[in-house]
Amino acid sequence: MPSSGTMDVAAFAPNVSEINGFKTPEWTLKGAQILNVYYEVKNEPFARLMPVMFHPVIPSYAMLNVTHYPESPVGPFTVADVRVGCRAGVRPRGFTLKSYVSTAAAARELAGRWGYPASVADVYLRAFHDRVVGRVKLGGRCILEVEMLDRDFIGGNDIQYVSSMHLCRNKEDGKLVVVQLDPEWTFIKAERGRPQLKAFEGAAWNGGDQLVPTWPISASYAIADTTLSAIRYVSDPNVDAFKGTTQIAA
Amino acid sequence: MKFGIFYEISVPRPWDGEAEKRVFDNCLEQVALADELGFDTVWAVEHHFLEEYSHCSAPEIFLTACAMRTRKMRVGHGIVVCVPEFNHPIKIAERTATLDIISGGRLDVGTGRSATWNELGGFRANPDETKKTWDEFVRCLPKMWTQERFAYEGRSWSMPERAIIPKPYQKPHPPMWVAVTSPGTEIDAAERGLGSLGLTFGSVKEQEEKVKNYRRIIANCEPVGEFVNDKVSTVNFLFCHEDSERGNKIGRRMLGTFNFLAAQLLAAREAYPTKSYPSLGLLPTLRREAAGPGDAAGVPEGIAIGDPERVLRACKRWEAVGVDRINFLLNALETVPQADVLNSLRTFAKYVMPHFQDSATQTAAAGGGR
Repeated sequence: MPSSGTMDVAAFAPNVSEINGFKTPEWTLKGAQILNVYYEVKNEPFARLMPVMFHPVIPSYAMLNVTHYPESPVGPFTVADVRVGCRAGVRPRGFTLKSYVSTAAAARELAGRWGYPASVADVYLRAFHDRVVGRVKLGGRCILEVEMLDRDFIGGNDIQYVSSMHLCRNKEDGKLVVVQLDPEWTFIKAERGRPQLKAFEGAAWNGGDQLVPTWPISASYAIADTTLSAIRYVSDPNVDAFKGTTQIAA
Repeated sequence: MKFGIFYEISVPRPWDGEAEKRVFDNCLEQVALADELGFDTVWAVEHHFLEEYSHCSAPEIFLTACAMRTRKMRVGHGIVVCVPEFNHPIKIAERTATLDIISGGRLDVGTGRSATWNELGGFRANPDETKKTWDEFVRCLPKMWTQERFAYEGRSWSMPERAIIPKPYQKPHPPMWVAVTSPGTEIDAAERGLGSLGLTFGSVKEQEEKVKNYRRIIANCEPVGEFVNDKVSTVNFLFCHEDSERGNKIGRRMLGTFNFLAAQLLAAREAYPTKSYPSLGLLPTLRREAAGPGDAAGVPEGIAIGDPERVLRACKRWEAVGVDRINFLLNALETVPQADVLNSLRTFAKYVMPHFQDSATQTAAAGGGR
């Protein structure tokens, strides 16, 4: 049978954020620019990068995402995530190892509302005619630089993003939980191109030396009105998702 | 209505030295029994790199072994991947013709294009191209089988004039099919005069619409081959047991295992945004429909699991919507012990098959023959 995640959640706990309960009102954010790059990653230690509740997808892959929100209740901000491809039961999901956000206010909101493992860094996203560039610098060090080359139009329906799973600590009872964020996207424009990873530091994304990109899969860039929706599911990270998941909202 | 068996050949871990041999041996034993019992066709998938889910990467070898162990049963590629990085079209023509000769004219050739990133990425195939190369391949194959010498200048491949040999034993050539998973592929099949090899489970109503659409379009098709194969087949699970409770329990376990296993793979569309894969493809469709609404026994609609009465009802429903053949998956990850699989085949043949006119006398090809 498929293997399960083997992450030591307690050991990972210092990396997680505190969430202010699960009754998060949604945010609708207009005109988000989303760069999403998929890379296959080294298979052998992959299961260690996700809690027991998940199953590693075959082949192992990581999602490198940089999104700029030009408008939000806390002003414009840019967020970068590294997620690992997994399954919660039979559902495709991305487990977020780390997020960096361009402003402290946005980092605080994303962590407190949706459990993003967020901290502040210099996060950059720009679309040029020949490429789209996403970059994250932490203390002057480049920990991610990813590009989409050879931009080509596709339809928004051709893109399938997966829901994000955030390991976080619930402020109300101090328990470690995984919350599911199911954003909704209304696409204004969508493109696909050739991915190119120019810099990646696994340790800075809580992947240690176990997260090693090996082979490019795809890159997409979209402009979409995005709704960060209410939290729908909360799971016990140490129990298979089939058994340890509670529905919070419809 | 005719009945076939369908193999993915899933091999559970741990993969000790005997695991794969044990599973292949079990499959071949099932095939030999199915032939004796009057099943019509054994189909084998072509999958690569789908660990545990399917170890059937060389179906032509497996099907040759099946042909050698059977007398009447047809052998079917369900499907051969028509993407040049997987299979050169000349090799497809040569291999299938050879298997048709070896089997004494019992080959059916299903065609398709793969739907997982595991496979497309593994062979470095471009997902945008697979529908196009499939179309080119299926137009070429009948000509490669029937023309003494063949030359071709195409989009994805070309060749100077050569004799592609051997030629198939069936004249003019073996029946051809298309794997139908993505919405609209039944139209592709019908427009080209190809059999519809349905690879999704359950959802009788949805399939009824597809069958109607297929029948309407194929009446005015432009066949790629020398004849029209207007047959519609679907795939299903089979676990038939005299004891209803045991039948449902073991059958549901097989379904659940299959679902869970298939879900761990990476659909092409999930990884690679493209118009070429408008749906998530075979695996998620299998999952969704195999896990569809169940009856009182918890078995999804249209699935051939349970006691003979329930299995008969399920098969009759498929017959009523115009399906000509049902091909059964018999196991998943060896969750059903071999003795139970063999007993299930016997029980089905004894109690269910006699209720279908053609099922006991299945000899003719879908369209080909000598």
